Amino acid sequence: MLIKKIQKINVYAMTWRLPIIVWQLLFFVGPVIFMIAMSFFLVKNYRMTEAFEFVNWSKMFSKNYFWDSYLHTVTIASVSTVFAMIIAFPASFALAFKASEKLRRWAIFLLIIPFFTSYLVRTFSWFVILSENGVVNALLGYIGFGPYTMLNTNFGTLVGYMTLTLPLVVILQTITMASIDRTLIEAARNLGCKPLATIWRVIIPLSKAGLIVAAIFCFILSFGDFVAPFYLGGSQEPTLPILILDTTKSGQQWPRAAVVAIVMMITLFSVAFIGIALAYRKKAKK
Amino acid sequence: MNSKRILNIALGAYVGAIFVFVFAPIVFSVVFSFNSQRFPTIPLGSFSTEWYVKILNDPDIWKAALNSLIVSSSTAVIATVLGFCTAYSDFRYNFRFKGPYIALILLPPTIPLIIMALAMLAWLSKLGISGQLWSVVIAHSVLTAPFAMAIIRLRLNQMDPDLESASWNLGGSEWATMRYVIIPFCKPAIISGLCLAAAVSFDEFAVSWFVSGLNKTLPVVILEIVQGNIDPQVNAIGTFVFFTSMTLVILAQIFFVQRQIKSTKS
Amino acid sequence: MTKPLVILEKVQKHFGDFIAVKEINLEINEGEFLAIMGPSGCGKTTTLRMLSGLEEPTIGEVRMNGQVMNKVKPHERDTPLVWQSLALFPFLSVIENVEFGLKMRGIDKLERKKRALEWLEKLDILEFSERDISTLSGGQKQRVALARSLVLEPKILLLDEPLSALDAHLVIRMQAVLVQLQRELGITFVYVTHSQSEAFAMADRVVIMGNGEIAQVGTPKDIYRSPQNKFVAEFVGRNNILTGIVSDVKKTKAMIETGSGVFSVILENNSLKKGEQASFVISADLVHLSTSEPKTDNTVYCKLISEEFVGSMVTLFLEDQNNHEFKVQMQERELSKFELKPGSKIWLSWSLKSTHLLEVN
Repeated sequence: MLIKKIQKINVYAMTWRLPIIVWQLLFFVGPVIFMIAMSFFLVKNYRMTEAFEFVNWSKMFSKNYFWDSYLHTVTIASVSTVFAMIIAFPASFALAFKASEKLRRWAIFLLIIPFFTSYLVRTFSWFVILSENGVVNALLGYIGFGPYTMLNTNFGTLVGYMTLTLPLVVILQTITMASIDRTLIEAARNLGCKPLATIWRVIIPLSKAGLIVAAIFCFILSFGDFVAPFYLGGSQEPTLPILILDTTKSGQQWPRAAVVAIVMMITLFSVAFIGIALAYRKKAKK
Repeated sequence: MNSKRILNIALGAYVGAIFVFVFAPIVFSVVFSFNSQRFPTIPLGSFSTEWYVKILNDPDIWKAALNSLIVSSSTAVIATVLGFCTAYSDFRYNFRFKGPYIALILLPPTIPLIIMALAMLAWLSKLGISGQLWSVVIAHSVLTAPFAMAIIRLRLNQMDPDLESASWNLGGSEWATMRYVIIPFCKPAIISGLCLAAAVSFDEFAVSWFVSGLNKTLPVVILEIVQGNIDPQVNAIGTFVFFTSMTLVILAQIFFVQRQIKSTKS
Repeated sequence: MTKPLVILEKVQKHFGDFIAVKEINLEINEGEFLAIMGPSGCGKTTTLRMLSGLEEPTIGEVRMNGQVMNKVKPHERDTPLVWQSLALFPFLSVIENVEFGLKMRGIDKLERKKRALEWLEKLDILEFSERDISTLSGGQKQRVALARSLVLEPKILLLDEPLSALDAHLVIRMQAVLVQLQRELGITFVYVTHSQSEAFAMADRVVIMGNGEIAQVGTPKDIYRSPQNKFVAEFVGRNNILTGIVSDVKKTKAMIETGSGVFSVILENNSLKKGEQASFVISADLVHLSTSEPKTDNTVYCKLISEEFVGSMVTLFLEDQNNHEFKVQMQERELSKFELKPGSKIWLSWSLKSTHLLEVN
């Protein structure tokens, strides 16, 4: 029976199917599972020893700064998501409904570029632009305002988050809205629906799934980013990613960093799960 | 009618503003890199190549650039091979647990880099292969394989499904068909995949920072300079990094789109 | 038409719960032009794919030259196929496409090129040899696809609706090319199509398939004049089908009582019993019109519903008082004598010889 099974194995098929399984088990599933295991390890004399203790969990959960940081991260990532969704919407609307097919494609291509270019350098650029004597304050100075302190504030963090998320959100919103059946919109207008009401009652419900996916991505990106809060927000109120950074880099406290990482992952999966459930919920009620 | 025009103009201006916001840091970074001021602002200082001269004379930067080159090109090859295998498996076969199989390759980019960095650091240390360039390559391949997979899968979607059978029918074995039909057909996407994976790897700083040890890549050098102070060298390095990745992305796009146009014509 | 080259014996093909081919027994002779025809989903393409080895029969045997082929992989056979989509390799030039099969067989470069050029010339596309596939017209691509298969000099060529993507005038031209090629080369063509005109114009024998089974095998004339069953009669069209109860059986003919009247039907080898249900057909082109009631047996009084002109031929659609549809096909020139317009009443009649009894199924 076993021999028969082995003979039946298709070498050709397995040549293509197996590499990614082996690779990802070794270098993706492996690390993630090890990190979970690591959260139960002990650190003695700056050395990590394998164990199964809940001490890291209880230590982290009993610290006020952990919960403060958690709350702060969730809050600012949510604010970032709301901002990005609102700021992006008029632009996506214009690209989806007013722009020609060709222009829309170009716009999307241009917006893909930042996604593949260094976020770090872009953040540093904002750091210079927004500084006390930077370009923005200089410009405001000409018209008699400022100087304002923009760095090391939540505003700075949000500018960083927008740099990271806005291109993606505009792309996803545009693609979603551009794929709405135009005749439905025309029908609504024809039936006397005013433009704003059309957006609210026709376009948004029809593109709900895509919009929610955009919001989920935006939340994931903001929630996990350490660069913007660190360099532009000044990390006075550390976010969870900064907590991981500090715990890993300074104190050799990898197990505690793992606890933070796991809490982050659980949060993200919950958000993604709830979001997707909302996005694809059957419209049974209506 | 008139108010509609005003609205359209306003929307156009708004889109313009969004693009200004998105591209301002890129443009300013380039402008500042040629600016003599140490703390760049408006009005700009004089044109200067000082920062470029400085980085060109810095052996550490040369070393980092070389490291980045090695990492991104090795990553590109591994990620594209993995991506190709997976894309072809998905295209050709139906099998049990295909959903989890696809999730396995697509999931990594959705996990925050800082978490991947920590997990990779811990696991690679455990395996005793941390702190080397190869550790970065391994980690980056996991992160970039999905991009290669996605673009090759899209290409396979454009393939007449009879093409593979036609090759068998003409006497090509499965292996010969792979070599003479599937790979040639996917070639533009394979090149695009290489470019995209290289571009992502070339910019990645979080995971590199954690697992590279003393073998720093360019983004890690930037990260460390930025931590210190404002140093316009960063703009010069950044400009170089930008143009490298942008070139790669644009090349990827050109290869993919041109072929698409060609194949839709036929 | 001598000995069978291919034998399909009790062949079935299942895809999970779906049975694409129920049970087929078929012999394909050396050197014949065989068309397999049927509506979409009838299993004709699956049958062709089993001949090429792209599908393995679930039950039964496919034999070629006496050898069982069930387990032989597609690339180990010599059964080139011309695809409906043509499936030309877009990244290769015309000549590289034609050389492909030879290359896979390990034939050296010079020989490959020589043979490919020969075939490009035979198919009249030599001038395009270095061109990109995407720059060719539909008809030219068709020829490349043919050359790519024929360069292998197979004993059998499989064709899967190869002309379906071409314009009507090109179809006629390609039909002539195909028939001439087949006669010249003397190899077996198995041609799958849903188009009657293609099948009847080219094939020596036609296989009609429906619901995964063979409904009839015969020459085009057989199928046209003597459909075996209702499925074939309906599929071929141009037939008036009548169903009724046998009211009387004589030596050479039977009387059948239908909703449109009692008709006499010729008995060939059929055995009919009184009281049985029976169906028979009369070809639309064998029905005559007359303004006064004919003094013969088989007549129906009908009302003209509509006319359809194709070239100089016209098809009349008529109804009797029970709204049963009749079709009459004739030359437009003949029709003009009757001065008909929709709503006109006219007598139809046909001779006993024109009737054909269908098998009960």
